Amino acid sequence: MPLYVEKKPEVLITEDGVRTDGRKPYEMRPVRMTVGILDKADGSAFIEWGGNKILAAVFGPREVHPKHLVLPDKALVRARYNMAPFSTPERKRPGPDRRSVELSKVIREALKPAIFVENYPGSVIDIFIEVLRSDAGTRVAGVNAASLALANAGIAMRGLVAACAVGRVGDFVVCDPNHDEDMWGDADMPMAMLMEAEEITLLQTDGPMTEEQFREALKLGRNAIRFLYEMQKEALRRPYQVVERSVRGVV
Amino acid sequence: MSESVILVKNREVVVPGQPLAKGRFKLGRDVYRDDSGIIRAKKLGLADIKEDTVSVVPLSGVYIPKEGDIVIGVVSRISGSTIIVDIRSPYQGVIPIPRGRATERVDMRKYNLKLGDVILAKVKAFDGSSSLLLTIDMEGLGKLEGGYILEVEPAKVPRVIGKRQSMLTILKEKTRSDIIVGNNGRIWVRSPSLKELLALEKALRKIETESHVSGLSDRVSSFLTQELSD
Repeated sequence: MPLYVEKKPEVLITEDGVRTDGRKPYEMRPVRMTVGILDKADGSAFIEWGGNKILAAVFGPREVHPKHLVLPDKALVRARYNMAPFSTPERKRPGPDRRSVELSKVIREALKPAIFVENYPGSVIDIFIEVLRSDAGTRVAGVNAASLALANAGIAMRGLVAACAVGRVGDFVVCDPNHDEDMWGDADMPMAMLMEAEEITLLQTDGPMTEEQFREALKLGRNAIRFLYEMQKEALRRPYQVVERSVRGVV
Repeated sequence: MSESVILVKNREVVVPGQPLAKGRFKLGRDVYRDDSGIIRAKKLGLADIKEDTVSVVPLSGVYIPKEGDIVIGVVSRISGSTIIVDIRSPYQGVIPIPRGRATERVDMRKYNLKLGDVILAKVKAFDGSSSLLLTIDMEGLGKLEGGYILEVEPAKVPRVIGKRQSMLTILKEKTRSDIIVGNNGRIWVRSPSLKELLALEKALRKIETESHVSGLSDRVSSFLTQELSD
């Protein structure tokens, strides 16, 4: 007898556009971002988004090991997306699987255009994304956290990368699909943008959408990403404001 | 070019990609000009606008060597004709051991180093990627005897030294210690007792966390007076 049984809700979205968690189609789940929470990493961030809890750590630029991977003219960027065995309702077998290898690749490619790799020749920048609790949309949450961790590490960047998923449930295009919509919805489209140019660095789609729906999804995603970008900026500045306030004695 | 606009306050905390200014400005450190001509920050740091130059003073980051820097290194490997030195950077320092006629001009006793020895060295040449040449062949450079090594974030080294060494002078006088600050964020200290060393360590942590708030020297000075009063 399994400890946890997946149950499909009878309606994913009502005719009025109310979702299984009570959100409107364009609404996002609550997000909280914290920067610099790991002592031993050069940069780190923690994101809580809906039921997701994800840690990102950045090490480097540092010496490349093994030596044969060295790029003489730019920094090597490596990313590892990993899900903790306890991050899912059923225990997940530890270690990389097909899915996490793919996500590592797309996350690396979403972040790399943001980094001035030519500023750090012959070195490596390692990005680790650890999913402690998963609840749909972990890759985009991971990208947001990793981008913060890179900035926190003091790495030269063109801009921050912000990411959000959009999807389709029936006739509705929805922002930030939740677990139910991810499982039984009709389409899912994670996207990431290099800010402030709003260049798309990640775009995947799973499920059919008409051209019109796709355009609407893209627009919804862009707006969500702009909002997340504002949160990222706030999260990066917050620790410095906290210190400033405590030094100046303002509460 | 179009009119010049400054988009941030001086000493404001800026994030990578944040627009700083537009128009006829010179690019300082850690900024770039995007395709539309806007000057943006490359790193998380403090905006620094002096006359016509826009820069960012980074708040974190690893040590990237520069020619002429003084660094404190630890001997990590000795292989035949070279000494490999760890300087807390993505790049390892190399000191060639003089041989042949070159040995007549230098003090060869300086090169008698063991694994783990702490040395004060100068960056002689750095090609930006693989070859980082250090030298100890100068007055005052070479093995550091005794003392303790403390560390700060390399980005905070200018704060530890201060304008015209003002902060370093405060630290030296208040703790009555010999202090050598390496550009790589390693700090060699010889203090009269453990009390001064611990106070110095706390003061360095204070400098690290409060470097972006003005009036740092005064706060560190009164902090040390308080720490060392009893």
